[in-house]
Amino acid sequence: MIPRDGRQAIPALMGIGLRAPHLAEIIAARPAIGWFEVHAENYMGGGAAPAQLERVRRDHALSLHGVGLSLGSAEGVDAAHLARLRRLVERFEPARVSEHLSWSVASGAYLNDLLPLPYTEETLAVVAANLERAQEALRRALLLENPSRYLRFRHSTIPEPQFLAELVRRTGCGLLCDVNNIFVSARNLGFDAMAYLEALPAGAVGEIHLAGHAAVMRDGEALLIDDHGAPVAPEVWALYGAALRRFGLVATLVEWDKNLPDLPVLLEEARKAERAAAATLGDHAGAR
Amino acid sequence: MPALAELQAAFRRALLEEDESALAGLVEEGGARLDIHRNNLFASLGAVLAESFPAVCRLVDARFFAYAAHEFVRRHPPRRAVLAEYGEGFADFLAEFPPCRDLAYLADVARLEWLMARAATAADAAPLAAEALAGVAPADTPRLLLRLHPAWGFLASPWPVDRIWRANRGAASDMAPIDLAQGGVRLEIGRSDNEVAMRALDAPAFAFRAALAQGGTLEEAAIAALIADPEFDLAAALARLFHDGAVAGVALAPPAAETVP
Repeated sequence: MIPRDGRQAIPALMGIGLRAPHLAEIIAARPAIGWFEVHAENYMGGGAAPAQLERVRRDHALSLHGVGLSLGSAEGVDAAHLARLRRLVERFEPARVSEHLSWSVASGAYLNDLLPLPYTEETLAVVAANLERAQEALRRALLLENPSRYLRFRHSTIPEPQFLAELVRRTGCGLLCDVNNIFVSARNLGFDAMAYLEALPAGAVGEIHLAGHAAVMRDGEALLIDDHGAPVAPEVWALYGAALRRFGLVATLVEWDKNLPDLPVLLEEARKAERAAAATLGDHAGAR
Repeated sequence: MPALAELQAAFRRALLEEDESALAGLVEEGGARLDIHRNNLFASLGAVLAESFPAVCRLVDARFFAYAAHEFVRRHPPRRAVLAEYGEGFADFLAEFPPCRDLAYLADVARLEWLMARAATAADAAPLAAEALAGVAPADTPRLLLRLHPAWGFLASPWPVDRIWRANRGAASDMAPIDLAQGGVRLEIGRSDNEVAMRALDAPAFAFRAALAQGGTLEEAAIAALIADPEFDLAAALARLFHDGAVAGVALAPPAAETVP
């Protein structure tokens, strides 16, 4: 690998989440990173934010990560929101567009959290219909992200990875495998993270997310909270290695939201992902 | 087994109204685990409001602001996922919120911050030059409609809210004591080169521009300005409006009924 500007180059597969406090530095320094991911909802208005994103887009590939489409809502997706997402996709021509297997909207109220779904035949039909509508409007396949889970519904009948696999089969969507979310959910709900990875349809995974989480005590039980507020945990790096062995070399993003560090710290996490990929898959890892 | 729509309605009640009765039998784990979602909801939306209303937050202190924001979120959750657009109605909520009654100017500071927050992310629109009026026949001029740029907003307050706002933005630029009896202010909030700008207008200029912003015709806006100042110079005021980049569209109102032959 050839160092650029004295910095270690990161292969195009590694990206970081673009956050507002880093914007000016990224526009000025153009760091050697393959791509940036942004939350679509932060750029749906006018003014400075989309203008700055256009500057970033000139130098870097982009991934649009939606948090507001609410694909799991029984009342369907909001047509106005979908139209705004479509305009954003047309303007920025992102390499990937992703959303979540969750819901946020009930009776028109947007609850600003990625809320859990019961995994039933009815939910499968609801999410598949919403996904198909979104993919039709955006004229492209979406990547669907597995959520971080804290609770389960008694009437769920389908394990989450099988539920995701069935959505892939019905709608042609891809998957965004959030390795930290698998780890957090496995701990909180008591399932085997490795078995979960094995049950995902490997060919559908188009992106991996890595992030930090927090360990808390609530009502006398230890829980993990997916707060994106710390470095990636060692156990999550280990699970990332397993994910790479199963899915091959997949574009990987490091997310950081709470306690956002300086940009070099975040870039170093992406380099760590690169080293993990090289160690897991051998020297050809950086060549793609 | 509940339908998904029922479950989501029950979940919404559990989060917003802390009424977990309908959800209790449906989840394996409730209690503290539901609190994680509830905390995500209220903490994130409280942070959104604190970011859009920083001077209000400083005036009432962060702890009270968090309490007021929690009550606002509970009663008026967002209707859209674009959170920069969340907070309309917060000023009116504060005006009616009993613990804030003694801070008479607080709601107007919130109105100012809402206009500034909206100005920052309002839709882009290319400002028109005065030449946009070149094709308008003189007889049609009174029924001209000048659509102002979406970032533009206007606020008249009986309090010096611009000075109160500056004194509560952390910068020491305007830290002299503020005399609340000094009188009110008429403010225009706009955006130029993607920077939000606020400035005070005199009475006729404010009357003119605010009337246009409310969808009034040029004739109605001119009359409003002339009431404020009989010497109002309409041609100069129009030129300044275009010069400021405030005009994003030009149209004609339908002719008045009596002019139909």
